[in-house]
Amino acid sequence: MTWRAAALLGAGALTLPLWPAPWLGVLLMTGAVLVLTVVDWTLAVPPGAVRASRQGARVVWLGDTATVAVHLHNTAARPLRGLVRDAWVPSAGARPGFPGAPRVRIDPGARVVLPTLLTPTRRGDRPAVRLTLRSYGPLGLAFRQRSREPETPPWTLRVLPRFASRRHLPEKLARLRAIDGTEVARGRGQGTEFDALREYVVGDDVRSVDWRASARRADVLVRTWRPERDRRVVCVLDTGRTAAVRVGDVPRLDAAIEAALLLAALAGRAGDRVDLLAVDETVRVAVTGGSQSTVLARMVNALAPLTPNLVETNFALVAGEILRRERHRCLVVLFTALEAAALGEGLLPVLPRLAARHQVVVAAVHDPVLTDLTTRTPKQVREVYATAAAWRALTDRDRVRAALHRHGVTVVDAPADQLAPMVSDTYLRLKALGQL
Amino acid sequence: MTTPTAAAARPRRIADQARRRRRWHRLTIPLGVAALLLAVTGITHAIDQPDPESPGFLSPVSTDDVGGSRLAAELRDRGVTIERMTSIRRALSLATSEGFTLFVPAPGLVHRAYWPLVVDPAENARVVLVDPPRQVLAAARVPLAGAGRRWAARAVPAETDGQPCPLPELGGVGPAAVLLQRYADPPGRTFRADRCYAGGVARTRWRGNDLVVVGASDPFRNDRIDEWHNAALVTNLLAVHGRVVWLDLDGPEPPPPSPPDGERESTPPPESGGPYDEGTYDHGDVEVPGGGEYASPPSTREPQAERPQRGNPLWDALPAWFWAMLVQLAVALLLLALWRGRRLGPPVAEPLPVTVPAAETALGRGRLYHRARAYGPTAELLRAAALHRLRRATDRVAGSRPAEVVAAVAARTGQRPEDVHHLLYGPAPTTNQELLDLARALDRLAPSASPVQPVSRQATPPDHHPSVPFRPDRPVEGETR
Repeated sequence: MTWRAAALLGAGALTLPLWPAPWLGVLLMTGAVLVLTVVDWTLAVPPGAVRASRQGARVVWLGDTATVAVHLHNTAARPLRGLVRDAWVPSAGARPGFPGAPRVRIDPGARVVLPTLLTPTRRGDRPAVRLTLRSYGPLGLAFRQRSREPETPPWTLRVLPRFASRRHLPEKLARLRAIDGTEVARGRGQGTEFDALREYVVGDDVRSVDWRASARRADVLVRTWRPERDRRVVCVLDTGRTAAVRVGDVPRLDAAIEAALLLAALAGRAGDRVDLLAVDETVRVAVTGGSQSTVLARMVNALAPLTPNLVETNFALVAGEILRRERHRCLVVLFTALEAAALGEGLLPVLPRLAARHQVVVAAVHDPVLTDLTTRTPKQVREVYATAAAWRALTDRDRVRAALHRHGVTVVDAPADQLAPMVSDTYLRLKALGQL
Repeated sequence: MTTPTAAAARPRRIADQARRRRRWHRLTIPLGVAALLLAVTGITHAIDQPDPESPGFLSPVSTDDVGGSRLAAELRDRGVTIERMTSIRRALSLATSEGFTLFVPAPGLVHRAYWPLVVDPAENARVVLVDPPRQVLAAARVPLAGAGRRWAARAVPAETDGQPCPLPELGGVGPAAVLLQRYADPPGRTFRADRCYAGGVARTRWRGNDLVVVGASDPFRNDRIDEWHNAALVTNLLAVHGRVVWLDLDGPEPPPPSPPDGERESTPPPESGGPYDEGTYDHGDVEVPGGGEYASPPSTREPQAERPQRGNPLWDALPAWFWAMLVQLAVALLLLALWRGRRLGPPVAEPLPVTVPAAETALGRGRLYHRARAYGPTAELLRAAALHRLRRATDRVAGSRPAEVVAAVAARTGQRPEDVHHLLYGPAPTTNQELLDLARALDRLAPSASPVQPVSRQATPPDHHPSVPFRPDRPVEGETR
């Protein structure tokens, strides 16, 4: 029943002083309202007579708005008046996008499209949970509402991670082309590839002269070099407890994902193969092989539902996976945090094996709160202690960094918004130096 | 290919449920234990306390623990005759004006119509009531009032408030376990009752009778009569006259076969002058006692309680439609509640991602330092950090020895070397204020903001690649070749 039935009964109650037998009046009026309500209930369109389906976006970038529409088809012979609620998980940011929501009116045999606007607040898979339909009778005294009628059409919206570092891509590509077009300054660097022969011009490195080719022709020929292609880059994301730490307003993992995506885009253009691993206690995500043109899309798709876990990352597993998957020398970019406890006990023991075969880069997001603490003049006693603890954390971080240096590891330590360009810069520099 | 392993959702849900269950336990277990203790205590106490309605309770022929056969035997040994009566009517009819003792072990079983008679059976009689309910005393208007009840009977000496017991027959009787219900004089009465055993036994003269109220049934019972001086107490109380009328009721007394209400007003029951009418009462064979004189017929207010309940006056004061309207509005309210109670689908739940606040460990460690009052270690950390900054600022010209550092810093900042030495190598502070002063002084000496670099930038190798020039405001990228 609805408020109308209650209001009818309440209004009837006001006429009771005029009744000769008030108690009879109560019985009559209550009975009449109940009968009307039952009649109205039977006249309401049963929710099971409505067919529901869904159409709309499957994928949306975080921060954008997608539209997913529910299509309702009234198969009953009476018009449907009612309320519709299309319930999504709260983080999907759903709001009804049709006028007069949540009221609907569907004529017999007609179909209506009820769009829902979704502005998700987190990446990952955001499912539609429940479609609820409340069908009122013609008098509006009663309604029918059943769970699972109509059946909720399943739908999942995949929210892709924010890829704001895309804006850095043109600049990095320009630098890549600059490296590509010029000779490598160091001449016959280790691992550089032969490109072509051309005539000697004054200023070329005499060590590049190809005497055998020069002997065949009258001119002096030099070899030209180009950066290696078909190198391998492995992005390893640490999804353990340190990845859950909030830096600014997002987890550290999100900054790492953004940097990994920019690196993958750049390396893909440079002709290198990019693999991806996300590991904590187990391997959460592994994107390997496949065509280079689709690797970025596959990576984005695989990383979207990735969440940090409150576990200690198993770096022995990380090293084992990399050594098992990558037989050739490759660039391993490990996205983690420079934390003495996690890296000192986990990574350093396995690092020699890893660094012996691969070029390792550790990319970490550092915490702006620590810097803020250490650069502020303390005003209260509490702040003095916090400052001292922050200095200690920074000292620990430096010890870890020094230990990593000793193993020949490049360390990139940057705030969240600068991590992606700095990792790409490191990649470009290593590429220019022919160290891949 | 892509293998997102979405595991651990199910175990986490199970763990959540377990935690919720445990949280529920945290409240229920202590409350449950407390409730169990209370219940066990209450039940044990209820079992331990004799029920006056139980058969054989203080009966002269019952040899049960709660029976009174041993008391009867003691009385017979003293040459007292015991007349066992199983109905109040018979007991009252036996009562003569001669001295006798009416012993009522269970006054609560006596029908309320007889209450005034029980305390006033005849002239110059003794009445012994065992733990009478308050209503009995109130209905009979006996000038005694209950003054607190104990959890169990307690043995006390015969004195009350330091005064010896005024009852002559109790002279020389030692302590007895009689203090359960305590009696006192009701407020506003000048008449004072004789009280013994700290108020557990009270005697009052009431309309020519000798009314004794005993607060506990324990001294009379077979199983307790031997304890303390219980036997002496109860036999002395009951043996003041040569005859004891022992009212041994098996259950609640039926109401008197009284004439109808109208008649009752004019002919109040037996007490007023010789009306132990043979027509009304069927004893017949007993001599009717002479009419006692009564200050006031106590039963005049009795019939009022027997009248049928009148309706609530509010019911008649308001018209019927008002009540009908109230009912209908209540039904309308019920419909409203039903309408609001049905929601448009239940709320949607969603697992939340784990979040760890920024710099949680560092801030937590700072709080630990604070709580532990770790002045020394904190000062050490601050001084080490300041030294790092100073070394960088002075371009590493200073050596590692304190004297050289102090000299270089003093030369650079223009402060006196003694002050600088005290700041950097002085003793550890001993109070919070000293620590705060030290931190501020160090901050002035080596500003942590630009141009001096924080220690975090320290580990950058000096030979970093020239293509990435070292910029103090930029994050660093250390590499080795």
